[in-house]
Amino acid sequence: MKLFSSNAGYFFKEVKTMIRLNLFSNSLTIFSTGLIFFILAMIISGWWVSSHVVNVVQGEAEINVYLDEEILNNNTGVSQMVESIKGIEGVQAARVVDQDEAYNRMVEILGKEASVLNKFDDNPFSSFVELKIDLQEIDPVLEKLTHMMGVEHVRDNREVLERLRNIAEALRVVGILVVAAVGISTLVIISHIIRLGISNNKEQIYTLRLLGAPELFIAFPFLLEGLLLTIGGGILAVSLATFSISYLYAQMAGPLPFIPLPPLKELVSGMGIVVMSLSAVLGFVGSLLGLVSVRNN
Amino acid sequence: MIKAKGVSLRFPNGTIAINNIDLQVEPGDMVYVTGPSGSGKTSLLKLFMGIEYPTIGSLEVLGQQMDKGQTSRIRQLRTSIGPVFQEFKLIKGRTVAENVMLGMRFLDLSQDQLKENAHDALAKVGLEHKASSLVENLSWGESQRVAIARAVARKPLLILADEPTGNLDKDNAINILELFKSFIDQKTSVIITTHATHLIDAEKHCKLIQMNKGSLSWERLG
Ligand SMILES: Nc1ncnc2c1ncn2[C@@H]1O[C@H](COP(=O)(O)OP(=O)(O)OP(=O)(O)O)[C@@H](O)[C@H]1O
Ligand SMILES: [Mg+2]
Repeated sequence: MKLFSSNAGYFFKEVKTMIRLNLFSNSLTIFSTGLIFFILAMIISGWWVSSHVVNVVQGEAEINVYLDEEILNNNTGVSQMVESIKGIEGVQAARVVDQDEAYNRMVEILGKEASVLNKFDDNPFSSFVELKIDLQEIDPVLEKLTHMMGVEHVRDNREVLERLRNIAEALRVVGILVVAAVGISTLVIISHIIRLGISNNKEQIYTLRLLGAPELFIAFPFLLEGLLLTIGGGILAVSLATFSISYLYAQMAGPLPFIPLPPLKELVSGMGIVVMSLSAVLGFVGSLLGLVSVRNN
Repeated sequence: MIKAKGVSLRFPNGTIAINNIDLQVEPGDMVYVTGPSGSGKTSLLKLFMGIEYPTIGSLEVLGQQMDKGQTSRIRQLRTSIGPVFQEFKLIKGRTVAENVMLGMRFLDLSQDQLKENAHDALAKVGLEHKASSLVENLSWGESQRVAIARAVARKPLLILADEPTGNLDKDNAINILELFKSFIDQKTSVIITTHATHLIDAEKHCKLIQMNKGSLSWERLG
């Protein structure tokens, strides 16, 4: 361990010298790994956002029951209906959302666009019964509700949920593929640049061996070089992705206010941690591969 | 310190660089190896450093058997050797001081000790003022002295110097030989190959080996 702690300054200076002597390839490496990691960062963020949305929407598995006109006009009928709906197995709660509340909810959802509602003379919404149910029981509950007397129709958000799930699943699959592609190409790029560095420093390596330097001492600057290059690429990617995501959030905040996006800070820091750790691991493994492939020659 | 019995070195192309030699070097010995070009002087030093292995015979350096299967032990052994290569093998793009220190970075020395050793060694070869020059900007003689400083700064048990005075003027050459001699008092063995036999004549307490076509003869025992 002393070998490394007391030589830290030397190792960094060596890396600096190696990068300086081969500035073009090294810059190109940082740039290309940066681009690759940027794609990765965006896919990871998309995956994160979609699964967050799915989770939120799932937590709010919503069933709205719309009642027949006749029953609506009759207050006791409505409360009787609510009671019998509550009696269905799997229903946790049921309450009436009256016309005014329905109207106000839409005002909230539409935000700035709420003025369109002024175009209506009367309140266009009808009251309905809102249910909270056990997610596992959703199918039998729906089945019973649709066959109930006095129910006009039942609206549930399973379809939306299903679509969101599909998107999240697709992003997950794409994400895995991208992670694999990013991993492989980073390993190839880094192991290549390390091989190049080693062959540029062949004489120096030979001399160090003749002087009795341990192999780890000789290899360490190369490991460090690979690590610094991918971390550089990672930083580049995270900055770019942070910028892009912030921009997209700003764009989405206006027209799509009701999408439950995860908090920007949480998303960016999570993405940053994932990309940076991945870049560090890939840099380390890539340089190791480069070292091993040279040794085997 | 060094024990060679019936050692031969035959290169893959058939050249016999060392031919059946016996040799014993004790701690504190100063040994000059001389002989015409191509007689096997460098090859002998290569055997002692484990750069080449004997094709026949047995060789022991600082208690280590020099066999092909012992590479990691031989790597370790090299930390006790101060080598001066015929072609210097300095590391380009680095300063004189860094080159000297690089030979010690993986030895168990503190940073202060490292700097002090490097500074002392450079002073002894008269190159303090070049400490921060890049090695590629040095003259041949200066490069040679940096190589010597790198070897002695390590305070090795065995110094193997291949033509260390080859590019030096007489004053510098004598200075370097004095520097090497200062080590034999500390029981370091010094083996020097040289063509400069006229300088050796001034030396009393030394052994002289004559190489000829890979064979060895003791010319004078000190
Ligand atoms: N790697 C090698 N492969 C084949 N032959 C070699 C190799 N290295 C050296 N030789 C040969 O071995 C012989 C001894 O070489 P060596 O370098 O030991 O000579 P030397 O005494 O050091 O010469 P000089 O005084 O010119 O430095 C020479 O004939 C040389 O050509
Ligand atoms: Mg020679």
